[in-house]
Amino acid sequence: MFNDPQFFQTIGYTLAMAGGYIVGKIFKLSTEICLFIAALVGALVAGSGLDVFRHFAEGSVTYFDIGLIFIFATLFMNILKESGAMDLIVRWIIRAFGNKKVFFLILLMIVMLIPGALTGAGSISVLVVGGTVSAALSAMGLKKERVAAIVFIVAGLSAAAPPINVWAMMTCAGTAVPYVGFTMPLLVPILILGLFTVLFLGWKGKISNIEEALKTIPEPKGLSVWSVAIPFIVLVALLSLPRIFPFDFPLLGLPLSFALSALVAWIMNYKRVKVFRVMADTVAQLTPLIATTTVVGMFVQVMSFNGTKGLFSLWIVTAPMALLYIILPFVIPISEGLLTYGGVAVLGIPLIWMFNARGINTVIALSGLTLLWPLGDGLPPTKLIGRLTVDTVGYTGSYGKFLKECIVPWIAITVVGILMVAFSNQLSFLMG
Amino acid sequence: MKWSKWIILAILLLFLLAGGIPLFIQRNYKETLVMADGVTRVLRLSDFFEPLKGTMGDTNIYEFQGKDPGGKVLILAGTHESEVSAMVTAFMFVENLQVQAGTVYVVPHYNYSGSLGSQPGGGFPLYYTIPTPWGEKKFRLGDRGLQALDQWPDPDVYVHYPDGQLLSYIDARNTNRTWPGKPNGTLGEKVAYAAMEMIRNEKIDIVIDLHEAEAMFPVTNCIVAPEKSKSYAIGAALYVKGREKFESHVEPSPSNFRGLSHREVGDFSDALVFLLEAPCVHLDQISGPKTNDLMIVGKDPFINVAAEKGLLFVPIDDRGWTIERRVGQQSSVIQEIVNQFNKKNPARAILFTAPKHAEVVEKRMGAFFKDPDKAPKSRIAYE
Ligand SMILES: [Zn+2]
Repeated sequence: MFNDPQFFQTIGYTLAMAGGYIVGKIFKLSTEICLFIAALVGALVAGSGLDVFRHFAEGSVTYFDIGLIFIFATLFMNILKESGAMDLIVRWIIRAFGNKKVFFLILLMIVMLIPGALTGAGSISVLVVGGTVSAALSAMGLKKERVAAIVFIVAGLSAAAPPINVWAMMTCAGTAVPYVGFTMPLLVPILILGLFTVLFLGWKGKISNIEEALKTIPEPKGLSVWSVAIPFIVLVALLSLPRIFPFDFPLLGLPLSFALSALVAWIMNYKRVKVFRVMADTVAQLTPLIATTTVVGMFVQVMSFNGTKGLFSLWIVTAPMALLYIILPFVIPISEGLLTYGGVAVLGIPLIWMFNARGINTVIALSGLTLLWPLGDGLPPTKLIGRLTVDTVGYTGSYGKFLKECIVPWIAITVVGILMVAFSNQLSFLMG
Repeated sequence: MKWSKWIILAILLLFLLAGGIPLFIQRNYKETLVMADGVTRVLRLSDFFEPLKGTMGDTNIYEFQGKDPGGKVLILAGTHESEVSAMVTAFMFVENLQVQAGTVYVVPHYNYSGSLGSQPGGGFPLYYTIPTPWGEKKFRLGDRGLQALDQWPDPDVYVHYPDGQLLSYIDARNTNRTWPGKPNGTLGEKVAYAAMEMIRNEKIDIVIDLHEAEAMFPVTNCIVAPEKSKSYAIGAALYVKGREKFESHVEPSPSNFRGLSHREVGDFSDALVFLLEAPCVHLDQISGPKTNDLMIVGKDPFINVAAEKGLLFVPIDDRGWTIERRVGQQSSVIQEIVNQFNKKNPARAILFTAPKHAEVVEKRMGAFFKDPDKAPKSRIAYE
């Protein structure tokens, strides 16, 4: 049954695309350019002809909004960082909670979980509070790679946390399963895993002397509490008002909400912040990330066009269940690392239909799987959130060392996620 | 930046420019159709809700008024502009319908904005074509939702009006999640509101919303009906199975899933509402290369494998899910729903004739489209 010419043809396209990628790597070109070459080869061998230009243009806008959100959210945070606001907040947290370690860690975890839970983007957690949290964790004497691991894993959990879980929502939108009943199936495992992560990775840390710890963080001069608080208040208001008054509050969207907050942050700190330099820095900082999402969009478009996406989806849904339990822990994060949100379309949607056909509780199973997707945001080639995290934390060591720090929570998350698929019907009480 | 990076950037920009031109041409391409003699008026959706005028949400409504009085049926196609048999059925109706009693309204592109560009990341062609005796008939292939160019930005989460149910941000641009609409809402909500205004003011008896769904999707090959439409749907399903020898079962409209036509139209008006799903394979994630044949001939080796594994919700055989079978199914089910209505409401009977399943399959799709070059100018319409 796997002997139709179309199978050999699409396997051939897959090999051609892989070949293009490898040749790029041999010439030491960047990952984005290698993906671009792979997409170009994949389109041309499948006979796109001149239509390849159109496919690239169409694919390149797939993640346009995500790019805009990154730019404005980062600009907002960079302005605050430049003003010294972050230092002020960290000093306050250390002074207030520095000698209560468990409480301190839990507080940092909750602070990290909220922005991503509300927006569905782990990147927002990293960009908005990651800097503050990592400074506080560093003050506990934790190594930079360990701090980065905590920020990355908790940011990933925040993205999966309710009310907004983009992987689940995209799958629901593609399968017409209502996005209903996900709150507890997501919240319970995420709180347990979040606690485990901060306690496991943060246990060795300790603030022995609060005054000594405070000395390592510069004390901002002439910064009033209001110039720190008001930008955050504006941001929280712009993010939460559309949810509180959904039918009356004008629809701004995340990019504009962050842009307005950034404007307020600048107005409150215009003496301390050279805004054009911060803007230029922000764009330079994000150019690789935007390049990645643009090229990934083109890559997904070509995979769909030439049938390789269909081939991979088919392999996944026709695999025996026992095999899936073994390969999904690898395939899901890798698909995210390769395609970012594109992985949901390739795997999530057919998986849910297959679960449905096999009598598995789709809400619980999908909740479990969505714990795994954010892990892939740390994997190459895109390393979307991983890169943001090491940048924000200021970790300059090897990327592999950072990933190694993530291993134990990573395994814990994987085990919980897969168990939720395996015991989905027994866990259906969580749906309430 | 090194000079090599500048060159790469320049190449990338040239690529996007070269790719943007075909997208621009598609957005401005007009489909041509030859109206049947029975078309009495071409209305606009904005006739029922002024603020829609001049927006990409406004769209044509073809009116067929019969000689004799009777009820009114509204047929919506293109709610999801990637579900091709819906639009092809509507075009076939506009070119072939004969109405004796009552009024039939046909909307080929309910989500007009959605028809103006295909799905980013989908890898589909920009057009699909159907062979006819006089050449190829060409259609724009659209996207499931409204174009971002016409409705932007997306919210971080879409809150359904008026229920408050939280839905994916993607669904903010899905015209089958914006029912029953909101007069001062987004473009998608305004479109739905305009249609609701039409349904209420014109006292439409029956609303039929045409769709296609993937073979791997549980709700496919069916008539989705809320409680009050159910008996008509069951009657129609039994009839087409017994007399026309094809299957289309009845699915109840879930009450906890908001924004869909089969839920809200019935709840917010007196109309009986039905949503028809014909099976198609080009939208399946597991289907192979996205070609014109995949949409029109409806055969795919990957789909065959999934069928052998028992993963599909429709039978797959050598015939393929051709455009003829899908359009024929849509047409016959529409006619039978109206027949069922006529039996129970003889005073408001709607009598019309259109090609049925067997006839479309036998004569092939192209036989039902006239050559625009040979038609009188007064009968030509552009979509
Ligand atoms: Zn549809």
